[in-house]
Amino acid sequence: MARISIDPVTRIEGHLRVDVEVDGGVVNKAWASCTMWRGLETILRGRDAREGWVFAQRFCGVCTTVHAVASVRAVEDALSLEIPPNAQYIRNLILIGHALHDHIVHFYHLSALDFVDILQIPKADPAKAASIAEGSSSWTGNSRQELAAVQTKVKGLVASGQLGIFSHGYWGHPAMKLSPEVNLILFSHYLQALDFQRKSCQVVAILGGKTPHIQNLAVGGVMNAINLNSLATMNMDRLGMLKAILEDLIPFVQQVFLPDTCLLAAYYPEYFRLGRGVANYLAVPDLPLDAKASKFDLPGGIIMNGNLAGVRPIVDWQDAEFRKAVTEDSTHAWYQGGGPLQPYKGQQIPDYTDFKEDAKYTWVKAPRYNGNPMQAGPLANVLVGYASGHPLTRKWTDTAFNRIAAVNGLKVTPDDMQSTMGRYLARSIRSSMLSDLALEHLQLLTTNILNGDDTTYNAPQFPAGEIMGMGMHEAPRGALSHWVVIDKGAFTNYQAVVPTTWNASPRDEKGVPGPYETSLIGSPVVDAEKPLEVLRTVHSFDPCMACSCHTLDATGKEIAQVKVQ
Amino acid sequence: MRLVSVIGLGNVFLGDDGFGPLAVETFRCEYECPSSVEVLDLGTPGLDLAPYLYDKELIIVVDTVHSDAAVGTLSIFHEEDFLSHKAKLRITGHDPGLWDALAHLRLAGHAPSELIVLGVNPESCEFAEGISDEVSSTAGQAAAMIAHSLTDRGIACDPRQPPAVLKLWWLNKGYVERSAAA
Repeated sequence: MARISIDPVTRIEGHLRVDVEVDGGVVNKAWASCTMWRGLETILRGRDAREGWVFAQRFCGVCTTVHAVASVRAVEDALSLEIPPNAQYIRNLILIGHALHDHIVHFYHLSALDFVDILQIPKADPAKAASIAEGSSSWTGNSRQELAAVQTKVKGLVASGQLGIFSHGYWGHPAMKLSPEVNLILFSHYLQALDFQRKSCQVVAILGGKTPHIQNLAVGGVMNAINLNSLATMNMDRLGMLKAILEDLIPFVQQVFLPDTCLLAAYYPEYFRLGRGVANYLAVPDLPLDAKASKFDLPGGIIMNGNLAGVRPIVDWQDAEFRKAVTEDSTHAWYQGGGPLQPYKGQQIPDYTDFKEDAKYTWVKAPRYNGNPMQAGPLANVLVGYASGHPLTRKWTDTAFNRIAAVNGLKVTPDDMQSTMGRYLARSIRSSMLSDLALEHLQLLTTNILNGDDTTYNAPQFPAGEIMGMGMHEAPRGALSHWVVIDKGAFTNYQAVVPTTWNASPRDEKGVPGPYETSLIGSPVVDAEKPLEVLRTVHSFDPCMACSCHTLDATGKEIAQVKVQ
Repeated sequence: MRLVSVIGLGNVFLGDDGFGPLAVETFRCEYECPSSVEVLDLGTPGLDLAPYLYDKELIIVVDTVHSDAAVGTLSIFHEEDFLSHKAKLRITGHDPGLWDALAHLRLAGHAPSELIVLGVNPESCEFAEGISDEVSSTAGQAAAMIAHSLTDRGIACDPRQPPAVLKLWWLNKGYVERSAAA
């Protein structure tokens, strides 16, 4: 029996430690520990509720916009304040721009190197690689010349012996299975992805005024001025510019990102049988289509025990069960108190004890839904959509399944998606859906403006007494909710229940582990010094510890340590 | 086309870690530059830094650094100081994002032509509102060093007359007047 401690897990945002107990080459126990303290919510108490979003978007340096939007939605919910349709569409486009950016960075820059072996690339035949890539995609960046140029760069890098940031990869690991040509294709897209990361930022910047940290939000709507006759405001030029950027970006998502994850899936079928973990899924409805937020383009719902035939839909943000069912427990987290608390009553008074696996061992609390751990993220989003017959989800999921079958005949079912590979695939399926929706929402905005509606803001009025509200967002990493208590226009409590808290949850008061921890049980570990299989499953969740715990570790270590005992 | 970026990195709620944002805002208030120079408070973007470095001529990053110098010491480092590890420096939490983003861009052929880091030695980067006096008192000097780095490279940069008033939302308490209920 070996005990492996990976601290910190690299290629994630923030600091995460994962401990696993391995017996006979298989993980039988796991612990996820966030090593940073959570404290930003404390700063929000006493603040003006109208400016909470400005502070909330500093919860994390990466997902700034998602917290800004969840914050204004929470305050609007407390006030029962409707926002104009233009404001919904503008917010939706910002959220889509951010999500596409995030999903692209996650696949190419944070996780692809768990599967791509750089040292194999010099052996590839660029002509053969080009024919594989061009055979499965109409993308124009897959020519033999393009791929040969990337191969030359990698050969230079390998020959120099200075791999730099690539020097910590598990190259040559027996669990690396791609052919040299597929390694070359994926790495070439890894470099091209940088350009599209930029384009998705531009979408956010044009509408949000600035990125990161958008400037255009307000409780009650957005501050974008709309005037088709003015050069300085939202006008047809600006809308045309957005359309041009999206039309550049979308082919990369649908003809490169999606096919690449399908290639990966075809080469690593064993990951459809690994990493299932907690098979309870939570997705919240998003991309509202009207002022009242009564209709949505992304469906929400709950799936329990992996039963895809029994989705409990979350129709809108007023869902009474959701508002009652969510709690957070601190029994195994470094906070005082224990027992589950509803977020409106949530606390975070630190009580640090060091890593004690049978007691407190992380800064992440244990969120529960009716007492159950839940998995959040693109997979929950896709499974809820697929199981509830959402046409767009079905279209892109079936496209992915057909693409995988076309590579090597591998047949994938919706049930197979409940796995490590399912989480990677779900992110590109969701991105393809969001790409279609970006054009739709831009059209909705344009049509509404052309019909003469230039309203973007309804002024909030704060009552004298205490009010409470909850704002939801289906963020890139999954279901996010901000819970606020307001008195005389200022916050008296503020709690954010973030996707990584759902997924990185420690054990709860009953000792039930969270999704990361459960997903690692049964994972093979061929080489205890190089636990690549564990990293693949952890990375499949796209951990972003910065907001699950809210601060950076200023004493951070330089490189990951893997300790085997 | 904006070809030069002055970038403040750091979390404004982590004490001295907020120096980068403070220094670039101070620079924005005290100096005038041509429109080719962009001044950005990017917070703690990690790998998301890459789009802001893409194809630039010059990047000046202002951040906290850990070296043996006294608290509040300002120093200028070049990329090779960090890559060679000669300087044995370690930037706080933002370091991986900066070097990874640079390495990606270099391979893709879109790295900035020159990158310099203006670093300050922090007293504490723990969760706190506000920056220590030793560190915040160097913001004006940091702004002058940014200006000097620009003029040295032939980029016009003149003192703003009169300087603009520094407004930092994160240091503005913004509490609503309330009864003793809290």
